[in-house]
Amino acid sequence: MQILIRYSTLFVLTLLVLAALSFALAYLFPGDVLVNLTGITPHNEIQREALIRQYQLDEPYLFQFLYYVQQLLQGNWGYSFISGLPLRDEIAVAMPATIELSTYALLTALFLGVPIGCYAGLKSYTKTDYTINSLSMVSYSFPVFWIALVFILIFSLELGIAPLSGRVSLLFDVPNVSGFVLIDILLADNIDSGLAFVDALHHLILPTASIALISTASMIRITRRSVIDVLKSPYIAAAESRGLSKRKIFFQHILRNALLPILPLMAIQITTLITNAMIVETLFSWPGIGNWLIQAIYQRDYPALRVGMLAVATVVISFTILIDLFNRLIDPSREKYERGAI
Amino acid sequence: MAQFNLYQEESQPTPWQRTWQEFRASHIAFTGFIVLGLFFFISVFGPLVAPYDPLQQNIDALLVPPSWEANGTISHLFGTDALGRDVFSRILAGCQVTFGSAILLVLIAMLIGVSIGTVAGMTSGVRSSVINHTLDALMAIPTLLIAIIIVAILGTGLVNSMWAITLALIPQFIHHTRSFVRTEMKKEYVLASKLDGANPQQLFFHSILPNMIEMLVVQGSLALSIAVIDISALGFLNLGAQPPLPELGVILADGLDVAYIAPWNVALPGLTIFLMVLAINVVGDGLRSALRKRLTH
Amino acid sequence: MQTGLRWLWGLAGMMLLQGCDKAEREAFYQSGIIYCSESNPVNFNPQTDTSSTTADATAHQLYNRLLNFDPDTGQVIPSLASSWKVSDDGLVYTFQLEKNVAFHETAYFTPSRPFNADDVIFSIDRWRNDSNPYHPVSGGRYPYFESLGIADNIFEVRRINGYRVEIILKREDSSFLANLATDFSVILSAEYADYLLSRGTPERIDHYPIGTGPFKFVSYRKDHFIRFDKHENYWHGAEGNSEHLIYDITPKSSIRLAKLITGECDAIAFPAQTELDIIVNREELTLSEKPGLNVGFWAFNTNRPPFNDPSVRRALALAIDKNTLLEAVYFESATRAKTLLPAASWAFQSDAEDTGYNPVLARKLLDEAGIEPGFTMTIWAMPVERAYNPNAVKMAELIQRYLSAVDIQVDIVTYDWTTFRRHLREGLHDSVLIGWSADNGDPDNFYRPLLSCGAIPSGTNRARWCNREYDQLIDEALQTQDLVRRKAIYAEVNRLLYNELPLVPIAHAYRYQAYRNNLKGMTINPYGGVRFAGVTKSL
Repeated sequence: MQILIRYSTLFVLTLLVLAALSFALAYLFPGDVLVNLTGITPHNEIQREALIRQYQLDEPYLFQFLYYVQQLLQGNWGYSFISGLPLRDEIAVAMPATIELSTYALLTALFLGVPIGCYAGLKSYTKTDYTINSLSMVSYSFPVFWIALVFILIFSLELGIAPLSGRVSLLFDVPNVSGFVLIDILLADNIDSGLAFVDALHHLILPTASIALISTASMIRITRRSVIDVLKSPYIAAAESRGLSKRKIFFQHILRNALLPILPLMAIQITTLITNAMIVETLFSWPGIGNWLIQAIYQRDYPALRVGMLAVATVVISFTILIDLFNRLIDPSREKYERGAI
Repeated sequence: MAQFNLYQEESQPTPWQRTWQEFRASHIAFTGFIVLGLFFFISVFGPLVAPYDPLQQNIDALLVPPSWEANGTISHLFGTDALGRDVFSRILAGCQVTFGSAILLVLIAMLIGVSIGTVAGMTSGVRSSVINHTLDALMAIPTLLIAIIIVAILGTGLVNSMWAITLALIPQFIHHTRSFVRTEMKKEYVLASKLDGANPQQLFFHSILPNMIEMLVVQGSLALSIAVIDISALGFLNLGAQPPLPELGVILADGLDVAYIAPWNVALPGLTIFLMVLAINVVGDGLRSALRKRLTH
Repeated sequence: MQTGLRWLWGLAGMMLLQGCDKAEREAFYQSGIIYCSESNPVNFNPQTDTSSTTADATAHQLYNRLLNFDPDTGQVIPSLASSWKVSDDGLVYTFQLEKNVAFHETAYFTPSRPFNADDVIFSIDRWRNDSNPYHPVSGGRYPYFESLGIADNIFEVRRINGYRVEIILKREDSSFLANLATDFSVILSAEYADYLLSRGTPERIDHYPIGTGPFKFVSYRKDHFIRFDKHENYWHGAEGNSEHLIYDITPKSSIRLAKLITGECDAIAFPAQTELDIIVNREELTLSEKPGLNVGFWAFNTNRPPFNDPSVRRALALAIDKNTLLEAVYFESATRAKTLLPAASWAFQSDAEDTGYNPVLARKLLDEAGIEPGFTMTIWAMPVERAYNPNAVKMAELIQRYLSAVDIQVDIVTYDWTTFRRHLREGLHDSVLIGWSADNGDPDNFYRPLLSCGAIPSGTNRARWCNREYDQLIDEALQTQDLVRRKAIYAEVNRLLYNELPLVPIAHAYRYQAYRNNLKGMTINPYGGVRFAGVTKSL
């Protein structure tokens, strides 16, 4: 219980810091503070005066900030300077796309990385381990934007296996309900869901693979390290001396103890994962938040950057804190915030 | 004069020498070390070796294929780009820009991170706890996001992107320094120095810092590989270095326009970034396992 | 229950990746055309914007005009106006309108009546009449009509009866009919406008458009796509039109080509000059080309010293080698421009003077003008490919090189297209690499929007150059129908421009269109934007 309270305080505090940063950005960005804060370009002085009063820009900074936070909480995030649309709507469409892509990549990394890592760990310092270790080192070193290009070149252009852009063929008019394309397709009434689902899966292959390649490599390395550390511990020797079968030792002792320390390491992975997803999005025209933010910077859409930064940071930090909390709950003996190298 | 020698061996290797011996024993790590040395050499002397000025356009030699292809020429080892610039010279210059700025910014981040981390580690109480927690949370913000914000405030450019990455790397150094200093402070040898009347500065420079260097080298190598990837990613996204500055990511993005007719313009700069990062990671990994071996022996 | 079924469907699909009925799948992929366009339209009303991106996305898809150009002869032919009459003094134009022309019926508006005279009057009044409630909507700028001075020249637009309209001019204008046939003179729905006004949301007219064209608007997502559906009641008949039309917004030309090769696009905008060979060599792709009515140029901001000095501009022009630019940027798919007019125009002057490449003289002129070595200027390079300049950034880098040879430092500036043009309109540039695609073959369509005083506020005069003599000459050319006389006047204009050099004409490029062979009915129309009416997809 105490932990929950501690973590919630931390969460709220961090969000406040972020909100303050995002508020400060309106002043730091070039151009008119009013426009940066609202996204509305006033047509005349009267409208301008009215807006200034509404956003309390004539008051001290503290009041401006409080009003800003209040507006954020009410869902009034301002308007895009370029498209004129409410930013909340735009982010509500873009953010799930990124989360979806990252989720699939993370799942791929978990389902491939953990078993391979365990295997390499159990066979540590043999040829197999050596090969897996080297390969994971290689794929961990790929710059994600380059490997995505190479994938496009090979799998789209040369072999024609997978399409290279978007989440689903644009011929499917998938209504946006949850923001997750696979779910939306299944919910949609106006299209042939089976056809669209297959199409969407095809579209997922390359972007997921590009991100997962790197995440899988780090997952393998983390798991392998952890398994090796567990293997050295005295209780494994004890179990062996008691004559337990290898299977039993692995599932009852090694696996659980090796997986526990992996969890906090996943927290750092989230940041890398989302960064990579954001870069890959621009190459595969994936309509996610990374693509959206990079367009916003090209277009100098300051209101969009202000809120976009807040949204991405909030999502990343929420995930990180959640994982930390989860980790503390299942394993209270751990040092808080333990992080490690890959 | 014969001296009394407690040990059997002729010489007793220092911890560093022992790490080095372990490191050399791994062929892969040592190869990585040599490649990394090569990159280091290139980034210092590359422009002197380069056959052409990396910005020199040559309208008579547009998109010449690399020398190993049928119609390539030896005068352009890696071929030329869409403006007739020599790709080999551009990549050499690109190594200098990318690798050089990465090293520079890691050093800056390390300096700042260690200073703050030490202060945080040596003081305790509410103040440092609040700082620590906020820092921990903020550490999760992706570099790309910080870079986008900095570009929006200051404009694009290599230096601005370097600031962004430095800013993103600092928390990591703070974190590790802080926890390292924390644990060291509890050890007896520090207590001994304290009892000898050492003030905090002496304590840090004479007792803690020498023990921290290994941790810093390992963290530095990790940070370096992140820095190289981030600098080139920002250059690639046109948020960092701006053309015509030969930064590897920028060269790659430039090559994208002619990816079909001149694929080497995409393949070679990408391969260079990959090799650079791989070499850094191999060396970093080798160092870590060498350290681990030394400590367990 | 239904959802459960669909889940099952999805799972089945997952298990048998190719499990669906093949014929069904093919029928589906044939039902729509995907066109990879290069940028976002500003909005969905070409009256408000001269960029060809906006025109491509709207003019011939969503709307019709009173008149059209014949793609082969360039003659004005009937469209929504079935016939017209010009009075003897050339001031009164009477148009007879088509009947039974249906407007789009969409999720956001259901029209109650077909097209009639009120729609014509509203559409023209929108850009002409300051007191029209829609005039200030979406910024209240109508650059095409402002730069050509058409709005000021219309005295009145009168309704004779439901299907007959009269337009009365103040002065004779020999290019008036041609202007009504351009991409920008689209016909909007007056009924829709009234409906929006009554709901208090007039700005929606440019974002949720209603027109009479072959396709109707469904949805738009900035940086991603524009979705159109077939207009079932299209007055020319909807049979030949595709069920769906989708613009896939893809700014990078290399990615557009990649998508064309993989079949994710059926046609692409602006294939890069370097990639033309690849398209020609692939048998499933078609490349068609036509000489374009366009000019790519390097304009100096003549409001900013030292670019207000003609001898500085001359020096800069002399410092660059245009032939090299043609070779490196256009890959020989363009001809060298001496004046604003391409050879396809009837007023083309073959013996016009042109600036050569002479860096020594250039440095000398710069010294005389007091420009110190090391002087720094900006060249703005547009971020999008255009036929008239397929790679402005590359051209800027080449020019940067040439100018460094005469000791001038160049900073290359580029932004996203919308921002780029906004800043250009504010005059923040020293010089800019940009160009112009004409909307009709009339020379006035080059000279007036590009360099007349009236075109400065509307933003098409990138040199921000205003010269009374020039304006007088091009006005004079419009007062006569005698082509020989007009040609002589334009020769004089060319001489004036050669002396003043507010901009350096660089190239007239060919126009290309690349599409997959299974697209039937694609043609390049030299007059205005791309059009998809009558284009179908087969296997």
